[in-house]
Amino acid sequence: MVRLDGVTKRFGTVTAAEDVSFALHQGEFLTILGPSGSGKTTVLRMIAGFMQPTAGTILLGGRPVSELPPHRRSIGMVFQRLALFPHMTAAGNIAYPLKMRGFPRAEIPKRVERFLALVQLHGLGDRRINELSGGQQQRVAIARALSFEPDLLLLDEPLASLDRKLREDMQLEFRRIQQELGVATINVTHDQREALVMSDRVIVMDGGRVQQAAAPQDAYRQPANRFVAGFIGVTNFLACTVLEAHDGEAEVEIGDHRCAGRSAAGGEAVGRTADAALRAEQVLIGEAGQAIAHADMLVPATVTEVIFEGDRVVYAVDAPTLGGASLRIFDHDPLHHKTRRIGETVTIGWKRRDLMVFPRDA
Amino acid sequence: MTPGIDTAASNRPLWLRILFAAEATRAALWPERFSPATAWAFLVPAILVVFVLVAGMGYMVDASLRELDRSTFMLSDDYSFANYATVLDRSFYWHIIGRTVAAAVIVTVITLVLAFPYAYAMARTPSAATRKLLLIGLFLPFFIGQVVRAYGWLIVLGQEGLLNSGLAWLGLDAIKLIYTYTGVLIGLVQYMLPFAVLMLAPAVTAVPEEVELASGSLGANWFATLWHVLLPMAKPGLVAAGVVVFTLTITDFAMPEIMGGGTNDFIASAIYDGYFSISEPGLGSALAVLLVLLASTLVAVIFAFVGVGTLGYTKRLER
Repeated sequence: MVRLDGVTKRFGTVTAAEDVSFALHQGEFLTILGPSGSGKTTVLRMIAGFMQPTAGTILLGGRPVSELPPHRRSIGMVFQRLALFPHMTAAGNIAYPLKMRGFPRAEIPKRVERFLALVQLHGLGDRRINELSGGQQQRVAIARALSFEPDLLLLDEPLASLDRKLREDMQLEFRRIQQELGVATINVTHDQREALVMSDRVIVMDGGRVQQAAAPQDAYRQPANRFVAGFIGVTNFLACTVLEAHDGEAEVEIGDHRCAGRSAAGGEAVGRTADAALRAEQVLIGEAGQAIAHADMLVPATVTEVIFEGDRVVYAVDAPTLGGASLRIFDHDPLHHKTRRIGETVTIGWKRRDLMVFPRDA
Repeated sequence: MTPGIDTAASNRPLWLRILFAAEATRAALWPERFSPATAWAFLVPAILVVFVLVAGMGYMVDASLRELDRSTFMLSDDYSFANYATVLDRSFYWHIIGRTVAAAVIVTVITLVLAFPYAYAMARTPSAATRKLLLIGLFLPFFIGQVVRAYGWLIVLGQEGLLNSGLAWLGLDAIKLIYTYTGVLIGLVQYMLPFAVLMLAPAVTAVPEEVELASGSLGANWFATLWHVLLPMAKPGLVAAGVVVFTLTITDFAMPEIMGGGTNDFIASAIYDGYFSISEPGLGSALAVLLVLLASTLVAVIFAFVGVGTLGYTKRLER
């Protein structure tokens, strides 16, 4: 459906996107996830045709589109600030692409009705844009982007400005509409939760480069590098030295402890400094001086912070024997676990396969 | 230190003590309970100015209703519509009124057409240097003044002026623009352009660039985007600029005087002649009243047509 081959964009000496390649299949929902300045919006704008790549090719339906202006591409786009036309009604906005793309006059009202119904705005077609709520405006924006049934839908962080509750509702709503129409979609966001909730596949970008392309579960469970591990989820990084590394396993020294973990590194990493990564929810807490069920590693620690968030408790602990590291820990079952106090001495532990080792670049 | 009591008062610097004294005086003269009136009090100077103008208009209406007594060269004591009848009776005046209104319409249209791209470029250029250059180009004419600019046009467009020298050099015939209607219109458009750009720029800036991109991605080419999105969204600025240019042109005096050289008088010139050349203040007043009526009626029609909302006086419908 869509293919990017070695797409690069430079602004003067600044490289906004470098050697970005991926393909998107019919009906697939892809999210480009990255912090601001990662190049994700640049990639989206090049696909939409608002800017030209410095190098590389973009293919839509197998055809290179470099020469095609935006209005000749079959792409619907929902903008960050929605960019609805305030001087038109909701129906007028949805009819606009149909008029511009030369749909038969008689068909337009029927289509507008159909798409108003699809986004659950039945009967609100005559409303002006400023007479609609934020969520309703989102719905008009997506209906407008889809009413001409484009081959590809682009979402440029349209949900970023919504409050959390509405945003989570709209994430599911966008996903429902996308699946109902089966339109290939590229979503751009800095919200890792949104990426995991909505997507079939996630592309993580940083510094203009693709860091990882994977299904949401895989990006979460097997992050390709330290950046991905840190950007998706809350992760503790512990400085360590690699002692051994082979067959997807590594033996490292963290402070006074030797422990094993998963790693893609090979023998060349031995002796080098690395980051050992532990997800906040994968660190377990137990009584001081006692073992913890299922934990392979046990380390003494002191609680320095306790934040009760209802469905979870967030702890910060100091572990002097881990090179003086401070760790963040989530307890997702606070009703069944003892709540620790600040200053309390505890044992923390983790399973061997939960530790991930990322060697630092030489 | 007693809580709640300001014991530092005696340590205040002199300037603060003066400020506090001034504040105390104000509080004595204008107690807090008068405060709802404060905002209105600021309107007083503006109201006074308008009132003086209205009073002047009143005298003018009065004069326009008195006929000149040819034996005494004084205005008659009794009222009549004789002056208005004279104006409406003479085709000479009809010509002038027609010429003025036509010029106002033509100049407004041409000025808006020229000003819009200028304002658009100023609003959209990514380069700060370009924007500054455009701004300087916009404000420079304001420093020069209309009369000097009109004489500048004489130098450029005159019989032996730059334009005709250039045409002669190219082997082409000279064009007569000085003392022609076209010359007056050129001068007026150039005079009005900065006003129009100044009023359009905020309106264009208020249209987010994203909206234009959206229109493109929805299938509109640049002209369709301009017609269906940009112009409707910039309408408040277009109407405001149009009204300003229209009223400034319909009442203009200097440009037709200098560029027309008496061959292409506007209503304002006729009023001037009424007072000072033919010494008929009644006739001049009648013309002045007619001009005010004409201009205000046309502006009222425009606002009735597009809504005063374009000036920003709408109740917002946000929820």
